[in-house]
Amino acid sequence: MVDFNALQSQWKNQKNLEPGDDDYELVTKRLKQLRQDQWITKLVLFGTLVVLAFFFIYVSAFKNSTMTIGLSLMMGSLALRILIEFYSTKKLKSIGTFVSVHVFKAKLVNYYKARTKTHYVVSPLIVMAYIAGFMMMLPLFKMNLSPGFYLYIVISAIVVLLVLGAFILKKVRQELRDLKTLQQLE
Amino acid sequence: MNPKEKQFKKAYEANFTKVMRLCMGYVEGENAMARDLTQEVFVKVWESMHKFRGESSFDTWIYRIAINTCLLNLRKNKPFVKNYKVEEVTALEIPEPETDKAQMLKQMYACINKLSETNRAIILLELEGMPQKSIAEVMGIRHEAVRTRIHRIKNELTKCIQDG
Repeated sequence: MVDFNALQSQWKNQKNLEPGDDDYELVTKRLKQLRQDQWITKLVLFGTLVVLAFFFIYVSAFKNSTMTIGLSLMMGSLALRILIEFYSTKKLKSIGTFVSVHVFKAKLVNYYKARTKTHYVVSPLIVMAYIAGFMMMLPLFKMNLSPGFYLYIVISAIVVLLVLGAFILKKVRQELRDLKTLQQLE
Repeated sequence: MNPKEKQFKKAYEANFTKVMRLCMGYVEGENAMARDLTQEVFVKVWESMHKFRGESSFDTWIYRIAINTCLLNLRKNKPFVKNYKVEEVTALEIPEPETDKAQMLKQMYACINKLSETNRAIILLELEGMPQKSIAEVMGIRHEAVRTRIHRIKNELTKCIQDG
């Protein structure tokens, strides 16, 4: 007959579980990396918005109303997508791991449910806005660009859309799997 | 070293082995993976230290972070499978004979891994010798519920180990 106290004593006397020489250093390294990543994220976000605004002014899009709307739709949807991702990452990190396991699980499930809503409602709207903006720009591209370059823009836009679509779909599937896993945990 | 760093290092040294043991229970005794998880736990401890209000003991607080971090990891890797590459297993590799203790531990890990998520967390805390009231605080469930569950899980675990 196996005795629980004996199991407990063996459990507590396990070997090689003490902190190694470089463990503490690795923790501080991770913290440093984390702070760096946060800065990089902020920089990328800010940089993207600045580049988009600069491009808008550079092509003098505001002088032509179709171009204004078209470019605004394209850039706005792109900016919105980045903002949503930024906010989402922040929200996930804000779920403190120091709360009870029961509360933590519930908060994680809520987070993934909100993400699912974003994927099913907001993301398709964003993609549609981007496509609409691109379609509005097409006559302008045709008028101002050589036929070869115009064809290149059309084909590359389709390829980019397909690749991005596949990437987003993969991420959506993974998050849905995560949600299912969490909901199945007893 | 500033006061926050000093406090953190003290907490790290006092709790590393306990957290490591708990993480071992989540990765079927894979030392490197448990070490990696333990480091992640202490990253989170550092990030949340300013939020510790002393409403529960520091031990309880750290165990909450440890279990939730392991839970997050489980979400990423579920189901936990040991990843052996074919080329790692060569004909020259002769495993060292295992002692009874090592075999028993291996069996324990396997049986703990079979438990449901909540039961696994509860038994790992019980194995650490944590008072049931504190286990209830970590898990966020009633004390009575923990008491009845522990009895059942202990039976389940010992039976599993006995049956091999």
